[in-house]
Amino acid sequence: MTHTVQGEPGEIFDIELDEDLKRANDLLAEKNRAELHKHGVRAIDVMGSVGSGKTSLIEQLVRLLSARYRIAAFKGDLTSKIDSERIASLGIQTVQINTGRECHLDANLVRKALEKVDLSALDLIFIENVGNLICPADFALGSDKRIVVISVTEGPYMVVKHPFIFVDADLAVINKIDLARPMNVDTDKLSADVRVINTKTAIALTNCRTGEGVDQVASALGLNCVS
Amino acid sequence: MHEFSRTSQIVEAVLSEAEKQHALKIAEVEVEIGDLTFLGLEQVRFAYEVLTEKTIAKNSRLTIRRVKGRGRCDSCGYDGPLSYLDDPQFHISIPTFNCPRCEKPLSIYAGRECIIKRIRIMK
Repeated sequence: MTHTVQGEPGEIFDIELDEDLKRANDLLAEKNRAELHKHGVRAIDVMGSVGSGKTSLIEQLVRLLSARYRIAAFKGDLTSKIDSERIASLGIQTVQINTGRECHLDANLVRKALEKVDLSALDLIFIENVGNLICPADFALGSDKRIVVISVTEGPYMVVKHPFIFVDADLAVINKIDLARPMNVDTDKLSADVRVINTKTAIALTNCRTGEGVDQVASALGLNCVS
Repeated sequence: MHEFSRTSQIVEAVLSEAEKQHALKIAEVEVEIGDLTFLGLEQVRFAYEVLTEKTIAKNSRLTIRRVKGRGRCDSCGYDGPLSYLDDPQFHISIPTFNCPRCEKPLSIYAGRECIIKRIRIMK
C-alpha cells in the first residue's frame, strides 16, 4: 500500500536551491575561452583604475607587437568612444563595448564583442576593462591573462588598498614611473606589496607615454616583440 | 558595488522557484556570500528589502552566511584558510593569495561565491 503525503495550506517547506549566481557568467567566460582557443587567439584583460594608463599601455603594446601579431582591441567604457578612437587610429580593429551604467565588463558583453570580429584573422585581443579596481575582479571574461595597471600618481598605497583585484592577476604594470620621484612614491615598495599579496603576479615598470618598459610587459605575457 | 544587480538576480531566482512550488509566501531566503567578493552586506539587505516590496517575499528574512576564503597549494599540499597580514598602519588586514607555508600562489576554491542555498516557503 502506498501512502501519499502532501502539504496543507499554511505549512512551511524548505527548498534546497543551491543556485550559484556567478555560474552564469563563469560558464559564458569558459565558452569565450574555448572559442578563442579554437581559433588560436590569445585574449588579455587589462584592468586598472581611471587614468592609470590602460589605453596608453594597449597603444604601446600594439605599436610593439603589430608587426608580428594580428591584433584587435575591445574597449569597455560607460559611454564615450574617445579611447576606442585612439586605439583604432593605430589601424587595428576595435570594438567599443558600452556598458551604460555597469562598472565592469562581463562575459556576455565580451561574447557579443567576439561576434563582431573575425577570429580566424586574429592572434591577439586586448580587452580593456572599465576603469575600476573593484568590480572587474568578480567577473571572469574568458581571457588568458589578466593585467592590472596601477600608476604612481594614484599614491603609495594603491596595491594594499585593493588586494582583491590581484587574486587572478598574472601581471601588475606599475605605470608612470617617470613621475615616481615628484610623487614621492617608491616603486620598489609597490612591487613588494604586489608580491606579498600574490606571488603569481609578475611585475613590470613602465612609462607608457614613451614606451619605456613595455617590452617587459610583452615578454611577461609570453609575447615575442622581435619581428 | 554591484549589490543591486546581484540582489535582483537573487530575488528573481527565488520568485521563480516559489512560483514553481505554488508558494503563497516566502518566509526566508538563505544565501552564501564569499568574503572575497565585493558585495557589501548592508547594501544587499537594503536592495533585498526594496526589490521584494511588492512581491510574496515581502518582509521575508534574508539570512546571509559569509564564506571565508580558502585555497590549496599545488607545491606543498597546503589546504586551508588564506593568511592575512595585519598592518597597524592601515587598520585593515590584507589578504594574501600566497601559501602560508611555502609562499607559492594558492588556487582559491572558496570565498568568491554568491549562492542561494535554501528558501523557506509557505503553501
